[in-house]
Amino acid sequence: MSDNRANGTKKMFFREAIAKAVREEMTHNSRIIILGQDVGAFGGSYREFDGLFAEFGAARVRDTPVAENASIGIGAGAAALGYRPLVSITYMDFLMLGFDPLINYAAKLRYKTAGKLTAPLVVKTTAGALAQGVAHSQCIEAWLMSVPGLKVVAPSTPADAYGLMKTALRADGPVVYVDHKRLFPIPGEVPIAESLIPLGQAIVRRSGSDVTLASHGYMVRIALEAAERLDGEGLSCEVIDLRSLAPLDVVTVAKSVAKTGALVTLEEGQPTCGVGVEVAARVSEASGPVLSARVGALPAPVSSNPVFEAACVPDATRLVDAVKKLLARSPRAKELSPRWS
Amino acid sequence: MIYSLTVPAAVPGVEEIRVLEWHGEPGKVFAVGDLIVELETHKAVVEARAGQPGVLRAIKADPGEWREIGLVLALFSDSADETLPEGDGSATELVIEFDVI
Repeated sequence: MSDNRANGTKKMFFREAIAKAVREEMTHNSRIIILGQDVGAFGGSYREFDGLFAEFGAARVRDTPVAENASIGIGAGAAALGYRPLVSITYMDFLMLGFDPLINYAAKLRYKTAGKLTAPLVVKTTAGALAQGVAHSQCIEAWLMSVPGLKVVAPSTPADAYGLMKTALRADGPVVYVDHKRLFPIPGEVPIAESLIPLGQAIVRRSGSDVTLASHGYMVRIALEAAERLDGEGLSCEVIDLRSLAPLDVVTVAKSVAKTGALVTLEEGQPTCGVGVEVAARVSEASGPVLSARVGALPAPVSSNPVFEAACVPDATRLVDAVKKLLARSPRAKELSPRWS
Repeated sequence: MIYSLTVPAAVPGVEEIRVLEWHGEPGKVFAVGDLIVELETHKAVVEARAGQPGVLRAIKADPGEWREIGLVLALFSDSADETLPEGDGSATELVIEFDVI
């Protein structure tokens, strides 16, 4: 069977890991409610709420109209009154419609009321290109990272989806939980017993000594693919999965960069004012100048034309090239470059 | 002749599926179009139907088990008395039709 009792894990789909987390937390806390398009009898746009409507009923699992601003606004208000709403926004592109209640109200509520009120709201959404065109493909995590009071997480495995969703549902303030659509077909081992993953804790997915690759979400898989290819050329990459973007685990990245001496960040979104520049800046603030490069989407919308889409978002080849180009400028260039030239 | 039923590449992006339900025990004779097995992906159920007649001889993945695309799910033969090879062997692929629902 698929249970891996020795490790205390069970292999499951991404959506099942989310459903497990939400089911457990809804069982613990009757103030958790779900709001969103198709979250009810349909079971969620990605079936990530399968079975919850039947289990917890229409009062706690509520379908909303195509009205993202209202959904997040109601969620923020309900959170201020002591509920813990999980608002599902199917595509991150449409999170923009809910920025006013999310950013102006939910994220600032604790500050504005001198701590008398909080907004324990989770907005669950998806990012990333999957042949759906300019307004269903964007990754705007970096926009959210700059909002004081807002937390942002982006898992790359079902186990992290499970652990981060549970933590988000217990957090004090608003959390934006971001899945990448390309991760949904990929199953993974998830702890059978209840467990949480703290916010602000990155994880080293692959150890290496020549360069640090820092990424999040689906792009972690691209970083691992590039690391494998570079390993074949004699370059050793350390791959860090940030998991949480706000708060950001600078310590883990800085520790890695202290070892490797070089940092390449990878994100699917725009690199301008992106996750990568923030990571690089924080690492250099923490531990001095860093030899770094950033890789992200080309400065263009993500087309629904599959050729243009593939050209816009980063792939392993682009990352491999960026790593080699950076290391050619490294003080260790003479030592490293013969390995690939 | 022995045939193997393998996991079809039915849904883009899917590298691995979970067996949902078998529609027959070893020994069952399948005609063209008969539903053999239902497979589960992250968003759909894949129905694998016989694209040729055959006898189900051995099930290699029980419900709840995971298999990657191209791996063997079951062995079939033209007649019920043919000797099965040791292990999964390199049997000819059973012709199947699949629907994604």
